[in-house]
Amino acid sequence: MKHVIIGVGAAGITAAKTIREMQPQADIIMISEDTYVHSRCMLHRYLSHERDEKALSFVPEDFFEKQQLTWFSGKKVTHILPQTHQIRLSDDATLDYDKLLIATGANSFIPPVGDFRQAANVFGLRHLSDAQRILAQAENAQRILIVGSGLVGMDAAYAFLEQKKQVTVVEMADRILPIQLDETAGNTYRKLFEAAGCHFIVSRKASATVMENGRITKVILDDQTEIPCDLVIVAAGVRAAIECVQDTSIKSERFIEVNDYMQTSDPDIYAAGDVAGLSGIWPNAMKQGQTAAYNMCGFPMQYVDRYAMKNTMNFYGITTLSLGRGIVQDGDEVILKEDHSSYRKAILRDGKLDSILLQGSIDYSGIYQYLIKNQVDISDKKDRIFDLSFADFYGIEPDGQYNWRI
Amino acid sequence: MNQCYGCNTCSSADKPLEGFIRELPMETSHHRVDHQKTKCGFGLQGVCCRLCSNGPCRITPNSPRGICGANADTIVTRNFLRAVASGSGCYIHVVENTALNLKNTAKSGGELKGLHALDRLCKLFDIKETDDHKRAEMVADMVLADLYKPEYIPMELVEKIAYAPRVKRWKELGIMPGGSKSEVFKGVVKCSTNLNSDPVDMLVDCLRLGISTGIYGLTLTNLLNDVLLGEPALRMAPVGLRVIDPDYINIMITGHQHTMFVDLQERLISPEAIAKAQAVGAKGFKLVGCTCVGQDLQLRGAHYEEVFDGHAGNNYTSEAVLATGAIDAVLSEFNCTLPGIEPICDRLKIKQICLDDVAKKANAELLKFDFAKREEQSELIIDKIVEAYKERRGNVELNLLPTHGNDHTLTGVSEDSLRTFLGGTWKPLIDLIAAGEIKGIAGVVGCSNLTAGGHDVLTVELTKELIAKDIIVLTAGCSSGGIENCGLMTPEAAKYAGPKLRAVCEKLGIPPVLNFGPCLAIGRLEIVATEIAAEMGVDLPQLPLVLSAAQWLEEQALADGAFGLSLGLPLHLGLPPFITGSPVAVKVLTEDMKELTGGQVIINSDAKETADILEKIIEDKRTALGI
Amino acid sequence: MKRIMIDATKCDGCKSCTIACMQAHRDTPGTIYDLDLTDIRNESRNHIVRMEDGSYRPIFCRHCDQPECMMSCMSGALTKDPVTGHVQYDETKCGSCFMCVMNCPYGVLKADTATRTKVIKCDFCIKDGEEPNCVLSCPTGAIYVKEVL
Repeated sequence: MKHVIIGVGAAGITAAKTIREMQPQADIIMISEDTYVHSRCMLHRYLSHERDEKALSFVPEDFFEKQQLTWFSGKKVTHILPQTHQIRLSDDATLDYDKLLIATGANSFIPPVGDFRQAANVFGLRHLSDAQRILAQAENAQRILIVGSGLVGMDAAYAFLEQKKQVTVVEMADRILPIQLDETAGNTYRKLFEAAGCHFIVSRKASATVMENGRITKVILDDQTEIPCDLVIVAAGVRAAIECVQDTSIKSERFIEVNDYMQTSDPDIYAAGDVAGLSGIWPNAMKQGQTAAYNMCGFPMQYVDRYAMKNTMNFYGITTLSLGRGIVQDGDEVILKEDHSSYRKAILRDGKLDSILLQGSIDYSGIYQYLIKNQVDISDKKDRIFDLSFADFYGIEPDGQYNWRI
Repeated sequence: MNQCYGCNTCSSADKPLEGFIRELPMETSHHRVDHQKTKCGFGLQGVCCRLCSNGPCRITPNSPRGICGANADTIVTRNFLRAVASGSGCYIHVVENTALNLKNTAKSGGELKGLHALDRLCKLFDIKETDDHKRAEMVADMVLADLYKPEYIPMELVEKIAYAPRVKRWKELGIMPGGSKSEVFKGVVKCSTNLNSDPVDMLVDCLRLGISTGIYGLTLTNLLNDVLLGEPALRMAPVGLRVIDPDYINIMITGHQHTMFVDLQERLISPEAIAKAQAVGAKGFKLVGCTCVGQDLQLRGAHYEEVFDGHAGNNYTSEAVLATGAIDAVLSEFNCTLPGIEPICDRLKIKQICLDDVAKKANAELLKFDFAKREEQSELIIDKIVEAYKERRGNVELNLLPTHGNDHTLTGVSEDSLRTFLGGTWKPLIDLIAAGEIKGIAGVVGCSNLTAGGHDVLTVELTKELIAKDIIVLTAGCSSGGIENCGLMTPEAAKYAGPKLRAVCEKLGIPPVLNFGPCLAIGRLEIVATEIAAEMGVDLPQLPLVLSAAQWLEEQALADGAFGLSLGLPLHLGLPPFITGSPVAVKVLTEDMKELTGGQVIINSDAKETADILEKIIEDKRTALGI
Repeated sequence: MKRIMIDATKCDGCKSCTIACMQAHRDTPGTIYDLDLTDIRNESRNHIVRMEDGSYRPIFCRHCDQPECMMSCMSGALTKDPVTGHVQYDETKCGSCFMCVMNCPYGVLKADTATRTKVIKCDFCIKDGEEPNCVLSCPTGAIYVKEVL
């Protein structure tokens, strides 16, 4: 059996590990543009010089040897040839496969604002290669403009603030971290970032640029405010990396289409992670990689743990957990608790938890994802919503593992 | 995030207070309940022993004895006796100081405000002297002489104070106490390492300590206080955080030894002191009542209208009182002065002064009360507090709650004022009981804690249940502070009573819950019970009378409880006193006690269930009396 | 693998396990007698919840067969040892994202209180070579180690 996996991110690596567990003898070949296995969620730690390339890895140093994986790094897959079960690489080499997993992830989306796409000092922050290029310029850049205050934007802001750069963050929405946080929770971070020197402009968009010698020197906002800058980081979302399937029969639109088994329209080709468009977060990518791997090895398994409206963040020692869309509908019950060290908000719909936001302590908060995912009726416990623990649902299997008693 | 320290405060029967505390920017005991909620089961059952270096030993199914061989019964009762002895020691300390202060005042020809009370005592003590100061000195000396007797010499006043049928029973049981201090001494010896291991013997000792505590620490402390400080007189008074007037220099008092304030409370309203206050922009000085000494002052409030603002709240209200920002100093002389007020005082620049080193607070100044130097000390205290006022006012934000509490709580209830109100005899009350208009009497006494449902929760709920059953409630202790702030001691509270009790209350214009004041006044309830029993010609256990220390907190309460049991009264506790690990202790206290003294312990944390149980006991006693 | 089994009916909430865990994971050398119980850096990997009815629920890491914590770790700090089956945590790798806290369906994990950079996670006291210290300290047998498949 010969498995080929494109991509060494969360989905690809998990798939490789899972296949190896099930098929100790199989050939597993991994191909990536990335030259280091790295965790994208930690790129800001690279920008802040807290970690080097190696320290961004989420696998042991001897991972490929130990797992007996063949890894072609720094190579792009240019073509997939489903009829002949082959792929072609950027160096024109051709590889055969029995089962193929596409886990190419996504790339930063640079919106066509002014000369963003042409300028030499505008970057996304998605791959280590992005971070490496940013770092090469950052030394001589003092004024950093960050477009977008999502997690990636805030990560980047943190990294530059750590290096005492002048950081301005522009956000279209009326508050920072608008997807994950409400205004109160966002303001907690806003104050911390501002105390570190960050400047925020909300409810504004970049609309034009001034370019000199191929570099943007000013970004002009939709209210004509001019922001002089040496370096621009665009954190305005990502687009799935689907180039390799674009001229093939594999069905795709914005993402590669997959069924419940992570299988594409070609039965021997699977997709997992960001490229499959089911969810953009790490734990889900791992689960998808694992699911795809089982199916590639002939053990049918459905991808069921799809809940994706979840995130945690941790800036300046304040941790936050955000589950659910956080949008209140008619008839919802909103429970709020706030004190000097925490802010908590729960949205209940029909006696079930729809969303929860915990800022401050997130200790032992793992149960909330379960409550939301499984739509557990907690109407009789809602008075203690923030004090619930697994003790309230305590069950133990004969082998000592816990199970939920609802 | 906002300024509140934390949202997870425990509940309180006093909802406005609960809200106030939840919004506070500082930590209070109400916040800490949540973090202490996982209690050790060994501790709860009383089966952890740390009496020797082999320990701590704990009782489990596989280890039913400690290393020394002590079983659960021995471990539990040793711990229990130790607690009762400590609690007794506390009250004996209070009566000792009270008697000394009375003696010193009498010797120096000072003012005695309660000559009627002095008459009563002299009659009881067979004192024939006619000079009031000499008589007072003799009274004090007789009390002190008893306190200082060795353990093997019975105290003399017990027989003069206690009800004769009770004394008879106590003699039969061999529990007539020797000198109070020696009894405490013996108690702590008995429960030390590898001494007594007999659970019943130790529990019987608790009864002896109970009698000593009750007759001296409670009953006599009240009467001595009455002589020196004036007797309670019925009146309506404001209660709750509303009593705090920020225009004054406010002194929160905590403790149990009112006689230590005699000089100061007069001096605070002297023209010289008022001038000092006015010089820094205040109208004068006010004492703000908190804990039992506040109840004591409230009880005698008729004598102290100028200096006393009113009672703000009980033990677990003290943090809120301070958090108003309008308190400039805390004067404490005993418990219940919570250690948790210290950081609050620091933060709000509140001066802490302790008058008794047994209750020296960590960051307070100790000015140990010295009768000979009382005037000088009072001046010093006034100056220090003026200094604190200058430092803090204007720099510390006020956070008042002027709507809290009510302004017409009936106070000043004592055995004497109540009997007088009834026409000088208990007959009207006995007639109402006999006719079933009042089903019975419940003394809801003792502390507040934060764990029996929350602050004052069980106390207030149980009180409501009892009055709804036409059982009149008499209170003494921090329970008074909680119940009064919840409005049950206003005449309008009659509406919460059952139809019969309500009619009685409305006719007399009294609330269905009568406030006897501090925990010391449990001694007054004993007098009421004794006088009623005497008039009816029965012994105390026959009366349709029950006690509940629903939210007992501390060792003193256990000593009080032991007094209640020695009197032969049913005693309800909301939480078990760390005894449930011992089958013998449980059986003796809840069952066998009925044979020994006529009393019994009932442990139940549910207000409704408890009220039903207590009602049943009252009904059974009524039946036995043929009423 | 070896797992700490729980018989919640035997738990008396004494928190001996909690203190034993703090002692086992303290940074400074010393004995249980000088363990600083006021130092927030001394944290327990287990905790006990007392229920309204007075019963106790010990919350201990199960070292799950399918560890959700590991399946959310983006730094590779959490791994399941193929030999012992225990889910081990490498603090030096941790990215402090706390996805694992969010993902543990049993609410066992927490961020460290002092710095919020580490996860407080049971390591089965492998460094001590014996049974985990919590188990050794339990006076009632509410927790014990058993070989499970």
